[in-house]
Amino acid sequence: MQDEPVATEQPQQQQQQQQQKEGEEVANTYVIRPNFESKFRPLLAKPVIHEVLVERLTDKAYDKEATSGLCKELTDEIKARLRANGFERYKFVVQVAIGEQRGQGVKMACRCLWDSDSDNYVQDIFMNDSLFCVAVAFGVFHY
Amino acid sequence: VSRRFQMEDNSPAALQNSFNVEEVSQIIKEGIESSIGTSQYQQNKVNQWTSAIIEHCLNHLTRLEKPFKYVVNCVIMQKNGAGLHTASSCFWDSQTDGSCTIKWESKTMHAIVNVFALAI
Repeated sequence: MQDEPVATEQPQQQQQQQQQKEGEEVANTYVIRPNFESKFRPLLAKPVIHEVLVERLTDKAYDKEATSGLCKELTDEIKARLRANGFERYKFVVQVAIGEQRGQGVKMACRCLWDSDSDNYVQDIFMNDSLFCVAVAFGVFHY
Repeated sequence: VSRRFQMEDNSPAALQNSFNVEEVSQIIKEGIESSIGTSQYQQNKVNQWTSAIIEHCLNHLTRLEKPFKYVVNCVIMQKNGAGLHTASSCFWDSQTDGSCTIKWESKTMHAIVNVFALAI
């Protein structure tokens, strides 16, 4: 039994951009693994993140009110650029942490339960005299 | 005749397989308490603390046997008067995927643990 293409009543379910990426026609592609060219490769994604951090953070000093908004803007910017870069059928999780440099010790670690053939992550660290910034982006293939 | 195809799945099987925030936050809190509940910040131990917390979380998450891929992230920072901001932005299917973040502190350190669950 085949589903007919879903055309008309979609808009109610799709209020935010985080819903079905395929648009109105949901056809079966029978693809369960990403192509080699469209895999989420760290080599391709790292310059994207690096550019965003360098562009937005050089010459910025840590300011406790402004940094909170800056953090959110960075995550949205990185997510938008990663989406624009291709990577079909990938879900993204982008995390940015900005902290003040005061000689304290920090440790950030992560571990993932996923399909290591299709999923990957990329990270970048930016430091200047008054702040440090860690950005991580995880790309998870949606079967 | 106009047809309406729902994208949500409200069957009992689907609800049982959805992301349950309370359950996951309980797992995270237990993980933190068991690894660093009573410790002081020590530079040479942070490595094994973060590993212990994350492994605890992942083990218990897998035991839930739900059809999810997980990403667990942990930040431990010494208390020094310095500020820290974190933010995350996700591109996913908001009906099936979810995240849970727990902030914890003691006298000498802060810990932040994030769990992201993405449906298969």
